[in-house]
Parts: sequence; C-alpha cells; structure tokens
Amino acid sequence: MENVAREIKDLYTPVIATISLVEQLTLSEKRFWIKLPRNQKLNHHPGQFVEVSIFGFGEAPISISSSPTRAPGFELTVRRTGRLTEKMHQLGVGSQIGIRGPFGNGFDVQRFKGKDMLFIAGGIGLAPLKSLIEYTLDKRHDFNRLIILYGAKNPSEILYPQEINEWTYRDDVEMHITVDRPDAQWKGNVGVITTLIPPLELDLENTIATVVGPPVMYKFVLMALKAKRLPDVNIYMSLERRMKCGVGKCGHCQINDSYVCQEGPVYPYTRIKELKEAI
Amino acid sequence: MSARKKSQKPKVAFFDFTGCEGCQLNKLNLENDLLGILELIDLVEFREAMDDKAEEYDIAFIEGSITTPSCVERIYDIRRRTKILVALGQCAVSGGINAMKNNYPLAQVQEEVYGKDKYLFPSMPAMPVRAFVQVDYEVRGCPMSMPEFLHVLKSLVLGRKPEIKDYAVCVECKLKENECVLEKGMFCLGPITRAGCDAICPSNGQYCTGCRGLVSNMNKNGAIEMLKQHGFSVEEAIKRMAMFNTNELVKEANWGNR
Amino acid sequence: MNRQAKDISEMKCCFFDQNTTKQFIEFLMSKAKVIAPHRKGEKSFSFQETHNPEEVVLNYNRTIQPIKKFFMPPRETLLEFELNGKPKVKKPEIKIEERIFLGIHSYDMKAIRLLDFSFDRDKPEANYFLRRQKSVFIGIAYEPDEYHFAQDLGIDVYDTTGFSLFMVPAEKGFLIFEVDETGHRYLQEFGKGLPLDAELQYERPEPTKKLKMHYNRLPQIFSHVYDSPVWKKVAERCLGCGTCNLVCSTCYCFDVFDEVNLNIKEGTRERTWDSCMLNPFAQVAGGENFRPTLDSRTRHRLYRKFKYLTDYSGELHCIGCGRCSYFCPAKISLVEIINELIEDYNRQQQHAAVTVS
Repeated sequence: MENVAREIKDLYTPVIATISLVEQLTLSEKRFWIKLPRNQKLNHHPGQFVEVSIFGFGEAPISISSSPTRAPGFELTVRRTGRLTEKMHQLGVGSQIGIRGPFGNGFDVQRFKGKDMLFIAGGIGLAPLKSLIEYTLDKRHDFNRLIILYGAKNPSEILYPQEINEWTYRDDVEMHITVDRPDAQWKGNVGVITTLIPPLELDLENTIATVVGPPVMYKFVLMALKAKRLPDVNIYMSLERRMKCGVGKCGHCQINDSYVCQEGPVYPYTRIKELKEAI
Repeated sequence: MSARKKSQKPKVAFFDFTGCEGCQLNKLNLENDLLGILELIDLVEFREAMDDKAEEYDIAFIEGSITTPSCVERIYDIRRRTKILVALGQCAVSGGINAMKNNYPLAQVQEEVYGKDKYLFPSMPAMPVRAFVQVDYEVRGCPMSMPEFLHVLKSLVLGRKPEIKDYAVCVECKLKENECVLEKGMFCLGPITRAGCDAICPSNGQYCTGCRGLVSNMNKNGAIEMLKQHGFSVEEAIKRMAMFNTNELVKEANWGNR
Repeated sequence: MNRQAKDISEMKCCFFDQNTTKQFIEFLMSKAKVIAPHRKGEKSFSFQETHNPEEVVLNYNRTIQPIKKFFMPPRETLLEFELNGKPKVKKPEIKIEERIFLGIHSYDMKAIRLLDFSFDRDKPEANYFLRRQKSVFIGIAYEPDEYHFAQDLGIDVYDTTGFSLFMVPAEKGFLIFEVDETGHRYLQEFGKGLPLDAELQYERPEPTKKLKMHYNRLPQIFSHVYDSPVWKKVAERCLGCGTCNLVCSTCYCFDVFDEVNLNIKEGTRERTWDSCMLNPFAQVAGGENFRPTLDSRTRHRLYRKFKYLTDYSGELHCIGCGRCSYFCPAKISLVEIINELIEDYNRQQQHAAVTVS
C-alpha cells in the first residue's frame, strides 16, 4: 500500500476554469459557456455532469448541457435554487470557477447508433438531454428519426428558445412542445408532457426513449411509454440526487446499492426497475 | 481605495428588545474576533437609538422578544428599513425565557412585577420576532451560539445563505467524541434538541437542557419512549425545555398525553 | 494485507508481566506514535495518542469513536483557497507518519479492512490511504459484553488478521503472539519477553449465539425483507439523531461545506462525518427529500451493512462492535432488529410453503 497511496490522484481539487459567455434563459435559469485552462477538452459524454466550485460558496453537481462535439469548452445550464447556484447567477464573463469531472455515466451513444431517438424532457431536464440532442444532430447520419418532446410549465419557462426554434424548422427533427399553463400568445399544445406521447407513431423495436425531468414526471412518462408498448430495454433515464463528492464516497446520492455519481445519472430502465428508491 | 472599500461594507445594525443582554455580552466576549468583525462591517446601530436619522440597513440583528405594543411598532419599522433580518438568541427566535410569563394571566404577571404602577407599563405575551415580521435567519440558543453567529455574519457579508443545522445535538457530541451524558446516567435533551451550539454543555460535563428548541420533524413518540427508557419523566423534560421555548412547546402541547 | 493469519496456537509466543508490558509500550513509543485506548470521562473509552503508558487501558469494552478517526478524521480540510482576484486553491499536505495502534479488538481491525475496500472502490481516495499507510496494529483479545456480537458475524476474538502482534490477557500479564515479520522484529529488538514456562493455556469464549441465523445467510435474508413491517416498528422509537452512524466503525459518508475566515479573503473546504439517518441527508437544493422517513432511512442504514456493499465486496459491512446499540439514546438494538427481520423472513417462508401445499 505504501507505494500506491502516493500515486493516487487527488479527487477533490478542482481545476480553475473561466466563464466565457453568459445568457439569461428564463427568470431563474442562465447558461454559461465554460473554458478549461489552455482550452483543454473536457472529454465528456452526453449525460455526464461536473462538480462546480465557487470558493466560499461550496460545490454543486451540474449536468453538462452541450455536446462533446462542440468542444473545446462546454455549457452549463443553471437554475437558481441553492447557495452555489445563486452566486453563479451573479457571475459574469471572465469570472473563474472550479471544475471537477466529468463524472458519472452518460448516455451509451454507441448503442443508439442507427436508432430512432425519442427525447422526452420536462423543465430543466432538457439541459442534460440537449447534450445528447446536439450530439445526434452533429452526427446526424448515425441516427434515424429524432423526436423531441418537451414540456414546460409556461411559455416563459421554455429553456432554449433559439435551439428549439432551430429544431422546429429542421426537416429531420420532429419537435413537439407543450406547456401546462399557456399565456395569451401561446398557440401550441397545452397539457402535461405525457399528452404528447399517445399520438406518436413509433417503430417500437428501433426506438430509444431518453427521459429527463423532475422527479414526479418519470412515473407518468413510463406509464405512457408502456401503453405504447415500447420495450423496457429501449428506455433510458437520468436521475437527480443530492451529491457532494461526485466520486462514489460521500453517500448522499445513493439509490439503494447504486451511487448515482458512479453508475448514473443515466440508467437503463431495466436497472431502475431493480432500484426501489429510484422513482 | 479605503473609501471605496468602506462604502462596500454592509451596513449592519443590532437592536435590543426584551432580553437579558446575555447575547450582547457574549458578542463582546469574542475579544480577538471583535476587531475583525468591525473591519468587516459598517456598524450603524448598536443599542436603542432609533431616531429619524437612522438609515437603511443591509443586515439587522434582533435580540430579545417582543413584549410591549411599542416593541411591535419598532420591529415593523426595522423590518421596513432592512434587507436582511436575523433573530439572535432564543428570546428573539422563540420568545425565550420571557415567554414563561405566557403561562400565566397577563394581569397577574403585571400585578406581580409592577404592582400599583402596572398601568404605566403596557405589556403583552412575550412573542418571537417572527410572530410579527419575516425573519430571514435565526441564531438559536440561550445565550446564542457564538460560532454560529460568526458563521451567519460571515456568510451574509459574503452574500451567501448561512448553513443552519437541523439535526440533533448528538451529532456534535459524537463528532467531538464526548462521553454520552445519558450513558453517565444523567438527564439529557440532546437527542431531540437542535444542534449548532457545538454541544457546548455536554462538552463541559453538563446535560443538554434543550435551549435551542426541538429539531424539526421530531419523532414525538420516540422522544417520550427515550425519556422513559432512561427513567426521566416527560413532564420534567417539558419543564426544562419550556424554560426557553414556551411558545414552541405550546404547539407540542399534547406531549405525553397519549 | 489480505493474507489470512494462521491460528495463534501455531504462533511463537512469550509472556509479559504488567511491568514488562509498560516497558514494551515505552519501547513502542520510542519507535513511533502510539495510539491506544484511554479513559474518556467516567465510563467511556477513546483511542488517543499515548503519552504515558500508565494511562493506557487495555481492558476496555469499546471506544466511542472507532479507529477510523485516524484515517478519516471527523472534520478535515480538503482545500484551502483565496477568494480575492483569481481563485487560488491549495490542497493541505497530509502528514504521513508511522503509527502503532495498540490494544485493538479483532472486529475493529476487520472494520479497517472493510474501509480499505470502501475507499478503494471506484476511485481510490488519497486522503484515506495517505493516513492509512505506515500503520502497525497490535491486537488484543477481549471479553465480549452484552452488546458485542462480532463472533456471530464470524469474527473470532482471536482473529489476528491484519495485526503484527496479538496480546491475550493472562494471569498477571499478557501472552504476546508474533503474527508477522514486523511483530517479530519488535519483539527481537525489545528482547524482554519471558519464555512460557507452562503449557499454553487460554480460553476461547463461548460463541455468543445472539443472532438467530448463521451470518452467511444474512445477505439472503436482506433480499426478502425490504418491505418488512419491522422498519416502521423500529422507526417508531428512532429519534433520527444520527448517533448510530457517527459511532459506526464502517460508515464513511460525509458532508462537504465551505467556511471563510473572518477577513473574507481566505477560506477552507471542510468535510465532516455525516449520517444517512439525518433528515436532510438526501435532500436536494430544490427541496425534494429522496429518503424522507425514518423507516426508509433505518432500512438504508442496515442495507448498507448487510446487502448493498456486501454484494460488491462479498463481506458483511457490520463487524458486531455493538457501538450503534450501546450508544443509541433510544436503546435500539441492532441484534434485535436483525432477529426480527429473520423471524419475518421465516414467517414469509412458512407462508410460502403453506400456499404451495
């Protein structure tokens, strides 16, 4: 053990990265473009997350919302909810933050090749899925249909209006969006996200569904997918939990025997079925 | 440079309501840290002075409970002038020891304290600050916990939410490897009392008397069972904790009546 | 490190009387920092650095905190940082020192081997292993009290795995067994051990039989009791104070937070032991609490000991030290919970048998 310990890489020291772009998305959400020192690549997979440090304020896990194909640099979409995220919203271009990661298991993009991709996102769940959506768009020939279902509380909380606009106008993307509470200008779908699922015509064997949203959403989306008879093995979900270390030690993110920061946050539904605390 | 720095310092005021001033004294006991604190903030009010020249504050710290109609007027006024309001010490947080009088008819209390002059001193039940205005943060304890006060002050100056602990005093005892007071056969309310005091009483060989109030989501049946197991009466426990927390315990009035 | 030690009956052995034992502790103190059980308060014990051999208490039931505290301190600075201008981050250096842990019970030694697994798993943690290396352990046999159930979990009082020397209390002194090379070297250098003049005699305590089932079957039990009514029953008495986790010798969950100095210019990132029994443990910033009830938290605590980690390491992660039950303010007994779960499992089996026939 003597020789080993010295060589073990330190797990808890972040690298100092720089914010190079900030954009206010909604009232409580902003996105940040982050550059690592010497423009290094983060080398992440879609669906992975980083631990963001603001010294004096703490550390929080934040999922990466850009595709690795758009490196160097990466995007974080941050909702103002806690100690760290509140401070992060006050930071501007040039501010420096600490980054550890990428951590966790992302989406298994190799397995998705040649498939129809069904993205189902609720609220800020679109952030981690955007990483995968961009990836499939950048490698468009590797994938077959791209269907995006997105549900927001109200039109003002729609997360990436620019991107959604772009996706809507692309011929090779099927974009469906719904809001729970419409405003006077809203002309689109009204209702919860599950209302978008029944009308879809899917090639069941060849469709991969990826689901990310608030905790309450999963059960209902699953019911709707099951009603469609989409095979369980074709469903993937990303789960949120409290995290401190990101390296499988602190215990906060554990769902039964699974450390979300190691095995997750993306799980095949077949695994989630074994985890009773999952959804 | 220094002028600019000065203007950046948050304007902080301390206001004293009904209490023993133990919390105030406690602050002066900080000695070494006291100068550091003054570096950190622009102290605009300390003690009563509430005249018209008083300005707006970034942080107002409130000590003592609200026990007279004029107190009510003052606390509304302070709330209007401050961005952040912090209740300091158990009197401000829950009414504290003063609230023991709430168990007796007001007229009887006034008679006993002021005798024939009682009409000169309008009084009301002792209430926590949050009964009247929004309280942003609380520093519990009688007297308030100094490490916690410093943590709150530093956090607010830095512009972040303080971390307020919501678990039992047992946690702090175990982290310090204190000998368990219950194991010694002594009475202790540590298992149901909110931490943040760094287990100061058990660390000094005393039992926890619950001055910081109950943890949230307390398992009431478990607490009663625990007291019984150790041979202590529920009445005794309530009496001791009520010394500092009459108002909070009113909510738990059915304690032991099962 | 994982080698299985042989039985002590096959080991070289000598005798120390009380005085020689003290001299031996002094000898050890000249070699390295010695950590041993000391009195703490009126009735309790604690592992402390030894400054005076007289203060070492070798006849103790259990310490409040386990030896873990020397490898993963209750509070530890992970980072030092400066806030002004460009953030500067520094990892505080961890002092590597030789330490001799004296008077360790076999179950506490086993706990360290289990923590080695936990800290090595997925991503090895330097902080733990830097402190952990250069540790020498000298074991001691103990008399199980009503809270110990290590034997029921297959950890013999005389299990010498991981130790360099092993002490067995005898009349007017100790039998000292040479377990490994380091132990042999220590005894050679010390050179004051008395040869045994009589046939080696020591009593093996009777197996305690506190658990109603062999420990090998516990993981199987835990595959069947996830929805047992036992959890709610325990939760009725549990105060969620976290004591059980915080005195546990194999728990290692922690919390991390930043603290700034009074000048608001520098600060540190700190980690402290945490407890999965505490209400906010699984609560996210948005407010959602993923394990909001005492019964679900109690279940999680026990599953971490008997199932979740066991599925990966092949070992039970409870070592039967009895700390959680001994220090529980509500006097909740882990042995009783396990026995009730076993009964529940047996009932299920009977019911299944009846349904089939």
